[in-house]
Amino acid sequence: MVDQLPNLGREKEMLEAMGMSSMDDLFADIPEAVRMNGELPLRGPQSEEEIIADARRILGANVALGDRVNFLGAGLNRNYVPASVFQLITRGEFLTSYTPYQPEVSQGMLQAMWEFQTLISELVSLKVANLSVYDGSTAAAEALTCAVRVHNRKATQKDTIYISELLPPARISVIENYTQGGGVVIKTLRHNSDGTLNLESLSEAAGSCGIYVEQPNPLGILDGGLTRVKEIIGDGTAFIVGVSPVSLGLIEAPGNYGADIVVGEGQALGSPITYGGPLYGIFACTNAYLRQMPGRIVGRSIDVDGQEAFCLTLSTREQHIRRHRATSNICTNETLIALMGAMHMSLLGPEGLQKLAQRNMAACELAKKKLSEIPTIAIPHVMNCHYNEFVVELPGAASDCIAYLDTQGLIGGYDLSNWYPERRNWLLVSFSDQTKAAEIELLTAHLAVWSASVSPGVSA
Amino acid sequence: MSHLFEHKGAGGKGYSQPESIMPTDNLQIPSSLVRKDLPKWPRLSEPEMVRHYTWLSTRNFGIDTGFYPLGSCTMKHNPRVNEVIAQLPGIADLHPLQPEHQIQGTLSIFHEMQEMLGICAGMDAVTLQPVAGAQGEFTAIRCFQEYFRKRGESQRTKVIVPDSAHGTNPASASMAGFEIIEIPSQEDGRIDLNALRAVVGDDTAAMMITNPSTLGVFEPEIAEAAEIVHAAGGQMYYDGANFNAILGLTSPGIMGFDAVHYNLHKTFSQPHGGGGPGSGPIGVKSHLAEFLPGPVVKRRPILAGDRMTSVNKEWWYHWQEPENSIGKVQQWHGNSGAVIRSWAFYRRYGRDLKTMSQHAVLNANYLRHKIMQEAEAKGVGHRFCDGAPVDVVKHEFTLSFAPMKEEIGIGAMDIAKGLLDKGYMAPTVYFPLIVPECMMFEPTETESKEVLDEFAIKFVEVLQEDPDVLHEAPITTKVRRVDEVYAARNLVLSYPFDEE
Repeated sequence: MVDQLPNLGREKEMLEAMGMSSMDDLFADIPEAVRMNGELPLRGPQSEEEIIADARRILGANVALGDRVNFLGAGLNRNYVPASVFQLITRGEFLTSYTPYQPEVSQGMLQAMWEFQTLISELVSLKVANLSVYDGSTAAAEALTCAVRVHNRKATQKDTIYISELLPPARISVIENYTQGGGVVIKTLRHNSDGTLNLESLSEAAGSCGIYVEQPNPLGILDGGLTRVKEIIGDGTAFIVGVSPVSLGLIEAPGNYGADIVVGEGQALGSPITYGGPLYGIFACTNAYLRQMPGRIVGRSIDVDGQEAFCLTLSTREQHIRRHRATSNICTNETLIALMGAMHMSLLGPEGLQKLAQRNMAACELAKKKLSEIPTIAIPHVMNCHYNEFVVELPGAASDCIAYLDTQGLIGGYDLSNWYPERRNWLLVSFSDQTKAAEIELLTAHLAVWSASVSPGVSA
Repeated sequence: MSHLFEHKGAGGKGYSQPESIMPTDNLQIPSSLVRKDLPKWPRLSEPEMVRHYTWLSTRNFGIDTGFYPLGSCTMKHNPRVNEVIAQLPGIADLHPLQPEHQIQGTLSIFHEMQEMLGICAGMDAVTLQPVAGAQGEFTAIRCFQEYFRKRGESQRTKVIVPDSAHGTNPASASMAGFEIIEIPSQEDGRIDLNALRAVVGDDTAAMMITNPSTLGVFEPEIAEAAEIVHAAGGQMYYDGANFNAILGLTSPGIMGFDAVHYNLHKTFSQPHGGGGPGSGPIGVKSHLAEFLPGPVVKRRPILAGDRMTSVNKEWWYHWQEPENSIGKVQQWHGNSGAVIRSWAFYRRYGRDLKTMSQHAVLNANYLRHKIMQEAEAKGVGHRFCDGAPVDVVKHEFTLSFAPMKEEIGIGAMDIAKGLLDKGYMAPTVYFPLIVPECMMFEPTETESKEVLDEFAIKFVEVLQEDPDVLHEAPITTKVRRVDEVYAARNLVLSYPFDEE
């Protein structure tokens, strides 16, 4: 504490300058009845050395992904963030600045965020991108409320949106919380047994305010059918696609197959997983949604001398101006993490992104090839193309398999019965640019052993 | 001016990568999904990239650059060890779906934070999930909504906010589906109990208010306000944006609030990062605990068979879903990295968080006094008046420059720009809305007396400045006054490649 308060020990001098004699005088306006008397019942202060020692000890009790052979992903994949990103982000001018409300002394962050908007806009091939929302889940939720604002007046299915039935319950829950206040009805889009979107029933969603699907979908499937969605649902219904941003080094940008809004979890570009936050949500859209979009946006302008300058713009959508009529309540966002994203994207360049996508995809394909050689397990969607992850159907409960793999030093994947209770035997295994060929061999060997050991008792 | 997109090195320039673990010539991609044109990203080598962002950083002002008295934002120093801790693999390289036995360390810190935040605010249960103050507000309002639904009181559709409230308050309540009733403040900015009495009723769900108010003034009648709302069957929500003023001195719980959000990026020093990330945990009284977003961290005595680690010799930490949870507001467990930084900050103070708040209030009052004293001495004391005429303020204060605007045509924004020329970040301008030509100052506890003395002198110099010069300000900054109307009328929201 003593190293944080410059005026410790000078209180008397400062109080006397104001004609006061005690610190209590500063709080004379707090009525006796609502005062807290005595000390806070908390521990004593620590020095920096003690704090970092405790942090190392306590956080050292965790098992970091890097300590194990890891196949857990489910939307957040282990990645490598270049060292220069971490070094640059500690610059105090970025780290310790606030929202750039005074543009004349905030050109650095404003320009960086304008560049971020450009990088995202190019990545997804849509005209407009904001400078981040909280994460992929809130980005999806905000996109859906935005779609309702834009389309509800002319919609034949008023206050109605459709979302993929495959979405993880946590993502659905966020969407429900964000949309329930507007009285929005959420319906689900069916998928075929091979995991792709059922296009035959999709016309049910025409006339609603918007639909939300993901590419790759939550089972890791790259769904070519999504390129036909917009012609089926029509112009009056927003086509919202959630993406894995790195995949777009190989996979067509949704803006090029009719998406009106593209959202996604930005983490793979620039940020460690950090136990699920802070991350950053990508939000991009066509011009038609611009004035109803959430969050901050930077525009290029000029100063009084006519030189190029940047500032926040279209703020009249936002809570500090529009208050209860704002397009969203978002104020604090994820700017610094988005900046890390911009730095990572800048270093990658177009070919670097393509190569990173190839590495992710190759790891997934190699794993699919190896695991499909195990006779006692199945890969239900094996005929589809996958990115980062796919489902393995085991001859026993996924939870048992994960427990076994844990004893062998592997974080074996995700038990999909958490998402789909009837799928007790579905294991979601994930692979990224960080996955080694030897690790895939190890997983294959252990899965073969475990599967063989439980196979005789399998009940179909 | 240097543009990122003017770096057009050879293909593949930038950061090198290992080879793929298998050949990539024949990757399986549905034919309709093969990307035809790569994004028009720039091509930079590492030295070019490092120089670009370093150059940008020199065009930005942070707390590390200089005094940042931005009211309502609590721009305090960010201890650097917190950044080192947040990058340890035991947090940075952790996945939110890992099983509990692999994350006992993180769960123990979360538990400690839940307990600490509960104690500081006088609340019974805490969730760390909301990732920003506004999301905390929204989360608490959703808890109120489910609480009333369960009690069969869904007719409570109105949320009361004072006209001095932060914009997020009405925006968050509106997002949850509530109708907003705005009540006027008294002349001195304090809550008008008669106005409150006039609007409460069977349809009142909640009142949202911050104390000290956005004018930096403690509401002496807060307990009465809580009584009025409670008597009508409503809930009281505490906007924690101004919590830095009162730790250990009073608490929302003592004042009669039912729920509160904490801005870890204000009170607990998570760096603001140019606008985020933040973290907005909420605390609630026991009757609302069952509705919190899930899961929250609990602990139980360790049992035989639990896997021992260095942190759980006595306790086993685990996630638990509240019984009637509203569900999730963020997909994972909130901004854990911010929570860890704030834990490190808390450990630095412990129970002396009270001293922290005392110094925040000491500095605000001292700066206010010094500005007034200096302005009187220089004969410009008549050019502004108190936003709220009180003897003491809390962690921030407001001044109205309406008299100066009237006298010589110089308003709060001109003064703000003049301050930029003196090397300072400007205080918050034009907020709260109820004070005309308002400037709101919040020095925080981490500024020295010398900084405050110097600022008071420079500030008054600005007030004495020739109006023509101030209309031109700033002149020493990297760019001069930026035309925000031009930006809105000529929208250029990304690099115009076609202008090349």
